[in-house]
Amino acid sequence: MEGHPYGYNIPISEKTKEVPWEEKVRVYEEVKSDFRFKEFLFGCLNCGVCTASCPSNRFFDYSPREIVQRFLEEDVEVIYDMMHEYIWACSQCFTCWIRCPFVNNPGGLVIIMREVAVRNAFEATKDLLKPYGRVLLKVMTTGNQLSADMLQPDFFPDWGPKMQDNMENIRAKRMAIPFDVGKSVKTAWEVSLETAIEMYTIWRETGIFEMLEKLDPNLYNVIMDIVEENEERWEELMEEEEEE
Amino acid sequence: MGHGKSPYLRYADPEPFPILNKHSHYDHLFEEMHELEEKGEILVYRITEENKPVEVFTRTGRIKTVPTAKLWHHKSCGQCGNIPGYPASIFWFMNKFGYDYLNEPHQTSCTAWNYHGSGTSNPVALAAVWLRNMHQAWKTGYYPLIHCGTSFGSYKETREQLIFNKELRDAVKPILKKLGRLTEDGRIVIPQEVVHYSEWVHAVRHKIAELYEKEGKAKGIDVSNVRVAIHNACHTWKMMADDYPYDPEVYNGQRPAASTAVVKALGAQVVDYSTWYDCCGFGFRHILTEREFTRSFAIQRKLKVIAEEIKADLIVTHDTGCTTTFEKNQWIGKAHGMYHPVAVMSDVMFAALACGAHPFKVVQLYWNCSNYEPLLEKMGITNWKELRKEWEDTVKHIAELEKEGKYDELMEFFKEYDLYEPYSRTSDGFKRRRSASADMPLFKS
Repeated sequence: MEGHPYGYNIPISEKTKEVPWEEKVRVYEEVKSDFRFKEFLFGCLNCGVCTASCPSNRFFDYSPREIVQRFLEEDVEVIYDMMHEYIWACSQCFTCWIRCPFVNNPGGLVIIMREVAVRNAFEATKDLLKPYGRVLLKVMTTGNQLSADMLQPDFFPDWGPKMQDNMENIRAKRMAIPFDVGKSVKTAWEVSLETAIEMYTIWRETGIFEMLEKLDPNLYNVIMDIVEENEERWEELMEEEEEE
Repeated sequence: MGHGKSPYLRYADPEPFPILNKHSHYDHLFEEMHELEEKGEILVYRITEENKPVEVFTRTGRIKTVPTAKLWHHKSCGQCGNIPGYPASIFWFMNKFGYDYLNEPHQTSCTAWNYHGSGTSNPVALAAVWLRNMHQAWKTGYYPLIHCGTSFGSYKETREQLIFNKELRDAVKPILKKLGRLTEDGRIVIPQEVVHYSEWVHAVRHKIAELYEKEGKAKGIDVSNVRVAIHNACHTWKMMADDYPYDPEVYNGQRPAASTAVVKALGAQVVDYSTWYDCCGFGFRHILTEREFTRSFAIQRKLKVIAEEIKADLIVTHDTGCTTTFEKNQWIGKAHGMYHPVAVMSDVMFAALACGAHPFKVVQLYWNCSNYEPLLEKMGITNWKELRKEWEDTVKHIAELEKEGKYDELMEFFKEYDLYEPYSRTSDGFKRRRSASADMPLFKS
């Protein structure tokens, strides 16, 4: 299919065309089998109020109405194709959700699609999330998603000259934050080791480490080195405490 | 007015403002939650008199109970990492009001920023992270107050999913058991209300206004001429939209009330603009890796509109991402002749400034990339240069102590300098604390 008679006119990519139909159906069914799917998709008038108020629609070739319509039409081919790049334009603001008269949640459908895309290690997803690796490293190992040491001025020249000034003598400035657990450069606040250890258990038990391994094996190795090091440190501390 | 058997579901009678969504699907979760509690499957962490509760209305007319005291601070990574004056202002107010609270290291982020940005998680993991944090709060006896808008939105969503989906409860329970994060009789701990800090500010706005009258004005501060544009965060009011405050005094209950109400209570001028409902352009992944989108949207749909339509002195926000997006994406507008400088800060930071908090030690405006200086002048904080010098000297002093390895002196200094005594405590003291990053002298002991 080359585009759609109305609305979605993005040609199906050659890569998608080459994928066996059964594989596309499998991925489609994986999205549909998510327990949230039935809570996010209802009827659709095609009124377009979601797309009219969508911030991403203003700057990307992206329409939440199309997400809803393609699912309602069970358009396996287009859904599969959307899951490679299209869905990553969504800002996850959920303006579409609050405005839809049928309470459809296109942003919610997108998050299911993204999760399935990562779980299936789609190549486009790997490329798209490459620059996001620093956030993944931080959140998976410390339980914080942002820290002062991630905000390097050379990475954010567009934030202006004050940014450069802010980051000078960063350790002392972070210590001048007037509450104890905030005095940290490598994390947003000091996360206790036992808390991080509990979080590692959650990642293991819920398959998040496996997702990461498929997404970026190098990043996964770096993360696992830190995780294992912290786990060893924790065990040593426990042993020391027992001896005491 | 009570509704059915559930003590958690009450509606205002008479209706406080015109209501479109009566008895919504979302509200039904408070009945289901009570049923699960009766069956012994969950423990509802209740808000008690000790929490000095204040009642507000949601857009369905439901009475939402907001605890104001004895709170467990569920901090925001974006705020603490990037806008530290945001949580510091919350703690400053709690100290001023003499409210007991707990600010401890045994908390992770919600991890939902990552989920919305990268899809690298799943509902079971998100639920486990949330319930672990909630169990920790319950264990300490302090009620959780969620600082971040995305954590708040995500936690509301996760709670709804848990209450309505047995399969999710069944999936997360063994993990919590492994972590020792169930009650002794094997129940999941779910809080009665998921509460955002902006709801807390909304609930105590009249106390804040009293403090402004008493202490802010005594310092010569006057906010009556400050023109304020309000930006409500998408994840507070669009995500699980039936669980956020609305009030007859704010657009007759037809727009979210938090932030607007406190700015009004302080007597500043809330000025309406045409794109009030638009998002900021943060986009989770976009702010970091699709920045041309974020800055284009922020400038064209918000900053330009606010400058041209209402000439605001200040954009008041109530979330991490929006504050960052608006204040970091102004300077770059110069490249296209679209520079619309305006101060940006959260409701609680503006309120703290109005009440006389130190702009740099407490509100930490130093980290701000936007032009806050004209706002300070307009508010009557005309000595801001001296205050900034004072803070910079403090930073130098800290740096020297650390360079010389005088950690004991540093600790002594912080005892006087920090906001935590006597109200903020860690649950198990400094000595037992170990850090997952261990990068500060405080944690070398």
